[in-house]
Amino acid sequence: MNSRIFRFGVAALCISGSLIGSSLGIASAQDPKVPADDGTIVIPDAVATTQEQMRRYTELIEHSPAKIEMIPIPSGTFNMGSPEGQENRKADEGPVHEVKVGPFWMAKCEITWDAYDVWMSDLDVFYREVNKVKATKRDELADEFQKSQPTKPYTDMTFGMGKHGYPAICMTQHAARTFCKWLSRKTGRYYRLPTEAEWEYACRAGTTEAYSFGSDASELENYAWFVDNAGEGYHKVGLKKPNPWGLHDMHGNVAEWVLDQHTPEGYSADLRTENPLLVPKTLYPRVVRGGGWNQDAVALRSGAREGSTEDWIAQDPQSPVSIWYLTDALHVGFRIVRPLNEPTEEEKNKFWDYSEPIQKERSVPLER
Amino acid sequence: MNHETNPNASSETRRSFIKTSTSLAAAAGLTSTLSRSVHAAEDNKIRVALIGCGGRGTGAAENALQVDNGEIELVAMADVFENRLSSSYSRLKENHPNKVDVPKERQFVSFDGYKQAMDTLRPGDVAILTTPPAFRWVMFKYAIEKGLNVFMEKPVTVDGPASRKMFELGKLSVERNLKVGVGLMCRHCVVRQELLDRIRNGEIGDLLMLRAYRMAGPTGSAAATKKPDDMKSELLYQISRFHGFLWASGGAVSDFLIHNIDECCWMKEDWPVEAVASGGRHYRNDCVDQNFDTYSIEYTFGDGTKMFVNGRTIPGCHNEFASYAHGTKGSAVISASGHSPAKCKIYTGQKMTRNNIVWEGPKSEPNPYQLEWNDLINAIRKDLPYNEVERGVKASVVTSMGRMAAHTGVRITYEDMLNCEHEFAPGLETMTLDSPAPVRANAQGNYPVPQPGIITTREYGDS
Repeated sequence: MNSRIFRFGVAALCISGSLIGSSLGIASAQDPKVPADDGTIVIPDAVATTQEQMRRYTELIEHSPAKIEMIPIPSGTFNMGSPEGQENRKADEGPVHEVKVGPFWMAKCEITWDAYDVWMSDLDVFYREVNKVKATKRDELADEFQKSQPTKPYTDMTFGMGKHGYPAICMTQHAARTFCKWLSRKTGRYYRLPTEAEWEYACRAGTTEAYSFGSDASELENYAWFVDNAGEGYHKVGLKKPNPWGLHDMHGNVAEWVLDQHTPEGYSADLRTENPLLVPKTLYPRVVRGGGWNQDAVALRSGAREGSTEDWIAQDPQSPVSIWYLTDALHVGFRIVRPLNEPTEEEKNKFWDYSEPIQKERSVPLER
Repeated sequence: MNHETNPNASSETRRSFIKTSTSLAAAAGLTSTLSRSVHAAEDNKIRVALIGCGGRGTGAAENALQVDNGEIELVAMADVFENRLSSSYSRLKENHPNKVDVPKERQFVSFDGYKQAMDTLRPGDVAILTTPPAFRWVMFKYAIEKGLNVFMEKPVTVDGPASRKMFELGKLSVERNLKVGVGLMCRHCVVRQELLDRIRNGEIGDLLMLRAYRMAGPTGSAAATKKPDDMKSELLYQISRFHGFLWASGGAVSDFLIHNIDECCWMKEDWPVEAVASGGRHYRNDCVDQNFDTYSIEYTFGDGTKMFVNGRTIPGCHNEFASYAHGTKGSAVISASGHSPAKCKIYTGQKMTRNNIVWEGPKSEPNPYQLEWNDLINAIRKDLPYNEVERGVKASVVTSMGRMAAHTGVRITYEDMLNCEHEFAPGLETMTLDSPAPVRANAQGNYPVPQPGIITTREYGDS
């Protein structure tokens, strides 16, 4: 029954595992701890209404063994951007400006294929079908963002670099956003991509130098997978030392999607100081942060920004190109956050979950 | 080793070819073609018809329009699904507004739309055949009659009778100096071409074994569910889920594994003579298609060399989509993941680690989907020998041979496959919207599936 204890992150009562799901480490709504009405898996540590009540918890995905560890990040103010004079600083990293962000939980690690594939390949639906398990209300809500979404890839999206325990890659920002919508419906807890400000705040974790461990790039190999030590591809998440707030791989392994539009000229056009978000109005460029396994140390700095480009989808042989997969972004993944104060549906639709152009599926794959 | 050459090729220019084929067309009584051909001699514009407007067809048309060595224009489109055609048209028109001239009267939605689309072309123009492969030989036959150059997607055949027909049609197209590209684009990849040179030069020693994998989740329409109640035509249903039906596509083996099989055979510079295979249907749920979930094929070449091919379409499992070669001195990556970039590498010994790399291709590779079109159009404009049909049929037969070995549980030789009399879909030439579908579901809604060890002379029984 160790799997049960681990799953819930608390010393759960050892109840005989009579259900297939629990005996296999599969999260199940039929667990006696779960209210039957809407199927939400109750995770006591995930419950908080104030910053002081926020604890680490492990999110579970129903009908799958996938887990996502979440770490509380208290609200705070920090200097966003890289100061002029910092070695290798680029024009888009300034000016340095003070930004305040509210409290949120952030995933301790980059989202792995284990979790992403539940959505991408409908593994939970598959589990239900194979084992004749009835969908819960939460499943039904989540299914709106699943099944036909995303379309199934024609290629191996792990690119031979490994699957279980490794970070998911090559998704468009739209796909990462849709995963979050699905996960929110599935769990009953609101998840989204971080804003660029939240990401940098969490990455810096109170530090002000080029990296969250200081300025000496020779130490980077202890904290990050990058071109000097990654070899042929990405690595399993969480193997390198974490940053001061316990987050792994913020530098390197895979660059991480945030919500914002990229501004090549820097932050000068938008210097909002509280929970800033530059809602994207064009598909390219949008921001990824932290650098990836095939990039050099400079790209991994806390303040470094990278804008997406059409080169990231150059090899897609289909036309129109997919709105879900970036065939050439082998260094791009993401991690999720959950804000303590969940926005209203209207705020989500207008702001947090919104971007332009609206992404439309290419011609319906199967005729009716 | 770019392309197979045609020993009978002439050095005629395209213009003189068009004159020649005009007389052929005239002899065939195609007078309307004659008048257009006279016009054709006065310009160098290549006109293109897209037949089969799905994602791959649309992508192929885009590649065609992006060839940058003279005027080229899309002038006609055909499909059996109106929505496929219209979305494909919108996309192409948006991306290439000056190279797409397909008014409504040259958009054909019907089973014989391919004829009407090709009728708008002149000899020497190009027909793109990107429907499900069942229709390939039917349409290719008509294209030859019209004196058209052709790009056809892989596989080019899925059963024995069609393969025999295609070999004959291929010979005819060579005799008529038609340029025909087959969508096995890996052969046009410059990095793989260099790898082949290196293997020939003995850099991995004598080739002992090849391995290929396409293990991903459900792909394309291979995992087909029942016909939706609001979809009236059983035939259109099967065509729309063509990966699920062996008559239409050859299923998951033919459509998904052929590239990796072909590139391995290319490195071996030979075709295997027989195959034994296993496979099965583990998860079915509400899928009614004819495919297995897993395939493991052992091919044997004439000199005893083995080639192992693994296909799996079960979600959530380890993924691999790659081909490898193993020799007495070393080993090689033929393709690392997917078809492009190939990321070819040669290693000393059998352990494929960074330290053992003795050669690797460049970081950036040109897109082979574009290269295959550059090569085809270049051959048309310069009248160079260019005909990939024979090679395409052989790759298709070899792939089908592995599939049949799995589906029957019998050791299948190349000749067994080629001479197999099971015609999956008789009457394709005369198929209309009202024709019966080639396979029928039983009372439970299931289509006939392979029964290894029970049905051993063909891949599935009647409904």
